[in-house]
Amino acid sequence: MTLSEAQLKIRSYQTRTFDVESQDKVVRGVVAALQDLGFIIERANAPMGLVTAGKFDKGGFVELTVTVRAKGTRQNEVRVNALFNTQPIDDPNAYQNFFTAVERSLFISS
Amino acid sequence: MRTTTRSSRPFLGTSRQSAVVVLGVSLLFASLLLGCATPTGNPEDFFKPTPESLQVRALQTRIFETPDEKELLSASAAVLQDLGFQIEESEVDMGILRAAKERSAREFSQEFTQGLVLLLSATASVFGGANAIFIMPVDLHQQIGATLATRPVEGEGSRFTVRILFHRKVWKGSGQSGDQSIPPGADRMQMIYDAEIYQQFFAKLAKGLFLEAHEI
Repeated sequence: MTLSEAQLKIRSYQTRTFDVESQDKVVRGVVAALQDLGFIIERANAPMGLVTAGKFDKGGFVELTVTVRAKGTRQNEVRVNALFNTQPIDDPNAYQNFFTAVERSLFISS
Repeated sequence: MRTTTRSSRPFLGTSRQSAVVVLGVSLLFASLLLGCATPTGNPEDFFKPTPESLQVRALQTRIFETPDEKELLSASAAVLQDLGFQIEESEVDMGILRAAKERSAREFSQEFTQGLVLLLSATASVFGGANAIFIMPVDLHQQIGATLATRPVEGEGSRFTVRILFHRKVWKGSGQSGDQSIPPGADRMQMIYDAEIYQQFFAKLAKGLFLEAHEI
């Protein structure tokens, strides 16, 4: 099965690589960013670098799944997909804002 | 002739009164409906911090000086148990705990409003001639949730932040609007920003650890 061009495009804005060696540090950064945005952490799995979270907002339910995977030895790749009322969110700006929050949490921690 | 005059006057009066009652009740329903309806949001905003984010973070976060993260987590779990929570999810390697407790959500003020609206709508039905009975669904049950995450303070192995979020999910009972019944189970989620709840949690945690909780 090959991915269509549209699917590849969606995957590209749902993915961001961070120059951080430790997967643990990135996962915890993601968790802190989600808490900052008012999300409830529903499930977490450290070996898989997996976090699922949700919140009620604007009269609906936003849910997302994040996975953090090592990319080479010095980087980690964060992939997120988000739903609003069970419909996929395909607005690139939404994902851009999510990664900005993760970045802030990873590099400007108090 | 006198009898006709007498009977026609009260009749006119009643129709005016009923029109006023119907109008009043419609306005009340409209305001209730407006209160429930929320605009569908722009997905961009779901992942944007709000102006209150920093303040909320300070409310929900404390720093503990300890090298032992597991101890911090198990003490947190013990405090949540003391507060009546059930631990539903834990991932020690990521410093995460999720807990919940069930409570009644019945409030006198809501049930009073329900009674008042029922009385008004019943009056409107009697005078208006149509079934305008409205039984407003009220909150019945709530689940209070807590999600906690510990995180090492950057560059230091001996200090950890603990951040806890309390929220509640409320379920409504059934209701009725005219001939249509409103099914039970409509729910909503609210974050809890009551400072006392957070202070109480961190005070108990500090006590359990024999440590001091530092504000961020």
